[in-house]
Amino acid sequence: MGEQGKLDLVERLTNECISLCRSVLRSRKELDPLLDPAFRQEKLQRALNEQKTAISEMEMAVDRIMSAVEKIGEIDFSDTARAGQQVGECCDAIMEACCFQDITGQRLTHVIGTLGEVQRSLDLLAEGRHAAAPPPATNELLNGPALPGKATGQDAVDRLLAGGAK
Amino acid sequence: MAVDMKMPILIVDDYKTMLRIVRNLLQKLGFSNIDEATDGADALAKLRGRQYGLVISDWNMQPMTGFELLQKVRADASLKTLPFVMVTAESKVENVVAARNAGVNNYIIKPFSAEVLKAKLKTVLGDF
Repeated sequence: MGEQGKLDLVERLTNECISLCRSVLRSRKELDPLLDPAFRQEKLQRALNEQKTAISEMEMAVDRIMSAVEKIGEIDFSDTARAGQQVGECCDAIMEACCFQDITGQRLTHVIGTLGEVQRSLDLLAEGRHAAAPPPATNELLNGPALPGKATGQDAVDRLLAGGAK
Repeated sequence: MAVDMKMPILIVDDYKTMLRIVRNLLQKLGFSNIDEATDGADALAKLRGRQYGLVISDWNMQPMTGFELLQKVRADASLKTLPFVMVTAESKVENVVAARNAGVNNYIIKPFSAEVLKAKLKTVLGDF
């Protein structure tokens, strides 16, 4: 290879390196939202916790419903008045347990929102486009159901409503 | 004064299951005139079109939240004394305090029991 050939090769390799560096930097930029510690430690971790909690709540609800149904099966219907009362209690228990659909629905909406952010970043990366600004924060008072151990109980709420401290 | 068990009650929630649960529990308590709305805007339109005796509302709804509904109800001269109970999974202290300051009559945390609903309604409406 002559001197000119070597220079051409060096120039081509240099350009390829620059192009590769640009591509890596661009990819890094697209992934920035996902690499942000706030996203990984808060949103992603919360989504995982919401998912686990939702599964646990669904199991508990099904258990309550199944227990109430089994109890109905064991009722002695020869005493109709008492049987009627017991069926009513079981129906109440089933209805209360069905609240899980609302709570788990809200939890899974959080998970879907987080997955949506991951998908948006990956789509941008795949398409080689620049990341758009994240959507503005929604109403700060919309927190959704609390995770286990972090909820304010009904008694504490009652005290707050009465004007006292938590 | 005795509670009018036939007074119109508006329940507001974007989850149809919750509307059914609250409706069923209210019927078991003896209330017979129950209407439904699926968000704050829908509820506000209904409240302005008919005289209700009680609102039981979720918080987290779109396009108008239950909190925004509460604020609009309290700002409306014809609705400002309407008993308003929030039934919500929003259990943060800041939510409860905001609702209290906005004039909510009671605040029930989801999931709740029939017993809790009954006790809170008695606090708001009187014994029934």
